[in-house]
Amino acid sequence: MMRALVLVLGALAAMSAQASGNADKGKQKVAQVCVACHGADGSKPSAPDQPVLAGQYYDYLVRALTDYKNGRRTNPIMKGFAAQLSKQDIEDVAAWFSSQQASPLHNQR
Amino acid sequence: MDSSSRFALDFGTLGLDQKSEMSQPILASLAAALFALGAQTALAQNKAGEDVPHPGTENFHAQCIGCHGIPGYKTAFPDVYHVPMIAGQQPGYIVAALKAYKSGDRSHPSMRGIAASLSEEQMQKLADYYGRPAK
Repeated sequence: MMRALVLVLGALAAMSAQASGNADKGKQKVAQVCVACHGADGSKPSAPDQPVLAGQYYDYLVRALTDYKNGRRTNPIMKGFAAQLSKQDIEDVAAWFSSQQASPLHNQR
Repeated sequence: MDSSSRFALDFGTLGLDQKSEMSQPILASLAAALFALGAQTALAQNKAGEDVPHPGTENFHAQCIGCHGIPGYKTAFPDVYHVPMIAGQQPGYIVAALKAYKSGDRSHPSMRGIAASLSEEQMQKLADYYGRPAK
């Protein structure tokens, strides 16, 4: 019983963590829109105040881009780029960046 | 009478379960608010009115660990998504993010409360701490 519950909860957690965007399409979109500042895989920002995106959580990236697009986050540069992205584009781009393994980001206190 | 009181007990238990499930996000946001309040009261002001760390709060990054130090941890309020990884992030971006929370340009309630309690010097120290490469 307990084991079954653990399995079900594990499956649910795996489902919720799964990206719904298409990383391959995201890669193409990144090459058009994001590459100049964040790098093709999101690991090499071109300025010190720009974030590393490679390896970041999928749902956080979706949230950030959506917030830029709808004006909840107010960075003037990102507003312009996010405005070009559809909801599907945002999910694809987030899927690409979040799936990049080579990243300075790491889980550490 | 025996059965009716048992029914009442069962009903009460059910009601409690539902309540505790529903109030989880509220409890989490309350905890975050209290946490932020605690962070604010950990600061003192010097004679010039500038924020300075209270003695004994040198390890003020402790207030970040609760959310950012747990791999896979998710926000509970205002909605649910992964708390971003900040270890290994560019220090300049971390400072920019904290300043945006402090000024209100970024809106997450817990982060606004915590950033409001930080001086720029503290922000820079936190950024340098988290921005260091993986060991």
